[in-house]
Amino acid sequence: MENFREVKAGKKSFKKDYVAIMLWFVGKAIQAASAVDEDVKKEFAALPDYFTFSLGVMPDGPHMVVGKTRKGIVQYIGWDPEGRDIDLKMKIKNIEAAMLLFTFQESTAIATARNRMIVDGEVPHACAVVRILDTVEVYLLPKIIAKLAVKRYPVWSSGRKYAGRIMVYIRTILGF
Amino acid sequence: MDLPEYYEFCCRVKIIAGHDALERIPGALASLNARKPMVVTDRGVSGAGLIDIVTDAIKGGVVIGAIADDVPPDSDLRVVNRLANAYREQGCDSLIAVGGGSVMDTAKGVNIVVSEKADDLMKFSGANALKKALKPLVAIPTTAGTGSEVTLVAVIKDHEKHRKMAFVSYFLLPDVSIIDPRMTLTLPPAITAATGMDALSHAVEAYTCLAKNPLSDAHALAAIDLISANLVNVTKNPGDRNGRLAMANAATLAGMAFSNSMVGMVHTIGHSVGSVCGVPHGACMAIVLPYGLEYNKHKNGHLSAELLLPLAGAKAYAETPKNERTEKVIALIRQMNQELHDATGGRHARFFNEVTDREGRPMLPEAKLPDIARAALSDGSIFYNPEELDYDDFLMVLEAAWEGKPLDKSRIKKG
Amino acid sequence: MFLPNHYEFACPVKTNSGNRALEHLPVELDALNARKPLVITGKDTAGKGLVDVLINAFRDSGITIGVFDGVHTSPDLILIRELFRIYRDGGYDAVIALGGGPAVDTAKTLNIAVSGEPEDIETSAGENLIKKPLKPLVYVPTLSGTGYETSRYAFFGSNMYASHFLMPDLVVIDPRMTVPEDAKTTAATALVALTQAAEVYVSPGKNPLTDSYAYTAISFIMENLVTVINNPQDKKGRLSLANAHCMAGCAFSNAAPGIAHALGKAAGDACGVSHGLCMGILLPYVLERYLSLSGYHIADLLLPLTGFDVYAGTAEEKRTQKAVETIYDLQKELFKVSGGAIPRTLKDANVSKNILKDIAVKAAGGASTGLDSDGCLAVLEQAWEGR
Repeated sequence: MENFREVKAGKKSFKKDYVAIMLWFVGKAIQAASAVDEDVKKEFAALPDYFTFSLGVMPDGPHMVVGKTRKGIVQYIGWDPEGRDIDLKMKIKNIEAAMLLFTFQESTAIATARNRMIVDGEVPHACAVVRILDTVEVYLLPKIIAKLAVKRYPVWSSGRKYAGRIMVYIRTILGF
Repeated sequence: MDLPEYYEFCCRVKIIAGHDALERIPGALASLNARKPMVVTDRGVSGAGLIDIVTDAIKGGVVIGAIADDVPPDSDLRVVNRLANAYREQGCDSLIAVGGGSVMDTAKGVNIVVSEKADDLMKFSGANALKKALKPLVAIPTTAGTGSEVTLVAVIKDHEKHRKMAFVSYFLLPDVSIIDPRMTLTLPPAITAATGMDALSHAVEAYTCLAKNPLSDAHALAAIDLISANLVNVTKNPGDRNGRLAMANAATLAGMAFSNSMVGMVHTIGHSVGSVCGVPHGACMAIVLPYGLEYNKHKNGHLSAELLLPLAGAKAYAETPKNERTEKVIALIRQMNQELHDATGGRHARFFNEVTDREGRPMLPEAKLPDIARAALSDGSIFYNPEELDYDDFLMVLEAAWEGKPLDKSRIKKG
Repeated sequence: MFLPNHYEFACPVKTNSGNRALEHLPVELDALNARKPLVITGKDTAGKGLVDVLINAFRDSGITIGVFDGVHTSPDLILIRELFRIYRDGGYDAVIALGGGPAVDTAKTLNIAVSGEPEDIETSAGENLIKKPLKPLVYVPTLSGTGYETSRYAFFGSNMYASHFLMPDLVVIDPRMTVPEDAKTTAATALVALTQAAEVYVSPGKNPLTDSYAYTAISFIMENLVTVINNPQDKKGRLSLANAHCMAGCAFSNAAPGIAHALGKAAGDACGVSHGLCMGILLPYVLERYLSLSGYHIADLLLPLTGFDVYAGTAEEKRTQKAVETIYDLQKELFKVSGGAIPRTLKDANVSKNILKDIAVKAAGGASTGLDSDGCLAVLEQAWEGR
């Protein structure tokens, strides 16, 4: 029929790749910060054994999965949540919303306030994970950008600010 | 009018409000193709004679399939399943929930079970797990109020497995909500005051926190206007039907506002006080509300300032210089607490160290404040608060609210 | 504030507004249990490239969408039959109406057919004859519309449909869709909304919920209409106007239509002038007429018209007059900023003086606001002459 067509929506490859890289980085950085930072250590210690959470984009990725292992060590588990037992799933509704988050146009708090995410899991765990994410973003990002990503930029000792940041970066890149 | 970068607003509940709103229920059910409702309520409500009022108003137009009045103060999975069985056995086709938050949550839970023929309610927990409309649900709030007659959330506790299941879905919204002053006519003054301040805190936080949007703003302003004109009066004159109708409207309006714009630190702290010390929700909100505005003033003071219009009226608003309005709002809320304290013979507490149970025993010892501060870290409403709060910040606010002193502004860490 | 002794209110519309709002559609459709939407729009909207933006918003969702972009200004049942066939054969389960006017009327009428049987199109015409919910309907506004889009009304051929079940489940207001229009179109759409909202806000039958939607709509229009016509690049202003347009329809669906609405529509029909422009001309004259009837809350209108500070700063006994003056001022501003394109009087709008009586008779018959045809004629004559 004239004036009618059926369209299968395409892909957003570049944006998906960008978000995938950011998620990988953040996942690795959480692993690193859990070894370096006292606050992050405390947050994870208060979470249940084997606690696993994912942050990803609907409908089918990219994702990052982080979890506590048997020994209580925190590890970046991978990019594929398939088949895993995940306690807390933070799902960003679409790739555009993920771009707003990972280009720091919307902070985690603002993105939540603007209904960009669905959180499946227990609220106290979600609060802890957001605090962990905030701390990791302060480590990873220069202050001028981190201030866009978190609600209140923390006041840290210079040891934490400088030495801590270097340690998180090294561990993130080298993966331990 | 502030237009946010992005917002969502939804309130699909049909509202029937008035002095004879209950009588409209059979017609409302009929238009939803329902004729045989199950009434869900608790002993408090039935004991106050409210169920008789409801059944008298509707029995000419519907066949009441069952009345379940044993909903506990805390929603319980076992009760949900038991009620669902009763629903099925009696061949009911709709639900009427008469009561406060726990009754509403239970009724919503029962609705999921009977509509989805669910044997495991857990399968439907989380957000967006429901895919289609449930059975017709009519909500009749009996306080003014929690606003849970217009929220899309239900929380059901599984006491056996020690977990709380949260359900979030637009399909949980009642089809109809009835605002009828007969339902709150016999509310004792202290409860009137506490639930009224709960409604006020919903409206104020919806207007001043991060998820604020134009439609919830309008609902919130209307709620605050009605509360400031009626709450103290209705506490002093419980039989004032027009005042009761006004407060019931206000509570629903505030419920619509906050269910779309969420709440902030006042609820974070209030929930935690409630869960650690069992202090009733409304009482906590009343006490913490002015502190929330003080703490957040550097972030949202310009918004709180606007609330002076509905709180104090046009003349006072015009006569107050712009830069003094926020402080005036905070003072007015404290003044409201004082008036309610006086009107309830001291039962309505102005600060935490005044909170007592029915026998006059203090409910909130100072030693519990650290526990409460710790509990506050796990409450999701903090996401929507304009300013960050860590353990130390929570403790600072709790200490001030305990003593009844204003916040020390120099101790507020600004983000 | 005014609280009626009894009222009823329902608004099934969910509003999503702002940056990247369209991209939420896959999740929103899923929440409505829909997976394959059919987009219906007109050639003029399609010609602006808006359809492509909408399609792109579905990228990465795995969803297939159908697009029909041939709705013209007077769609007929032949179109509905073809769309019915497409919808059923293609396994579609939701309709997205893009742009206002005929596209939405078509979408709503189609929705009646696909939610039941095609015969329902005839049997459902009239007041409240649709008895159960329809399939999911989404409305994506531009800056051009009739004011009925989010409302409970649809008009198709000679049929009028009125039912809350016709209201869209979801409205998606995205700045990429609210592209600038010419001054007259922008004003016409906004003035319908202003008239709908203002009449509901002052009416004796108002309630706190109609107030909330109307208040927001009026505020947005007063703060943005003139500035947007002056500077069409004002993205936030345009988004605000689109918000107002949607909210006014919601308020309007919960109250009886007012006389300015009825007169504006009748005048527009009689002379081929847009309804909105006629309503905008008539509104202040009608408000003045309402002063002589009881139960109208015109002083309240000052609050959304001018904002907190001016309202509070105006003495109570002067608010009614100031409210009406504000609307006359708006007319002057619109006339100025559009270089005279937006008419201030019915004479400017090329409405012929000798058909005013017919318009009055027609309008008085339809509305239920206690104004007879003589009263209507008086208003029309005043609005024709101007001040």
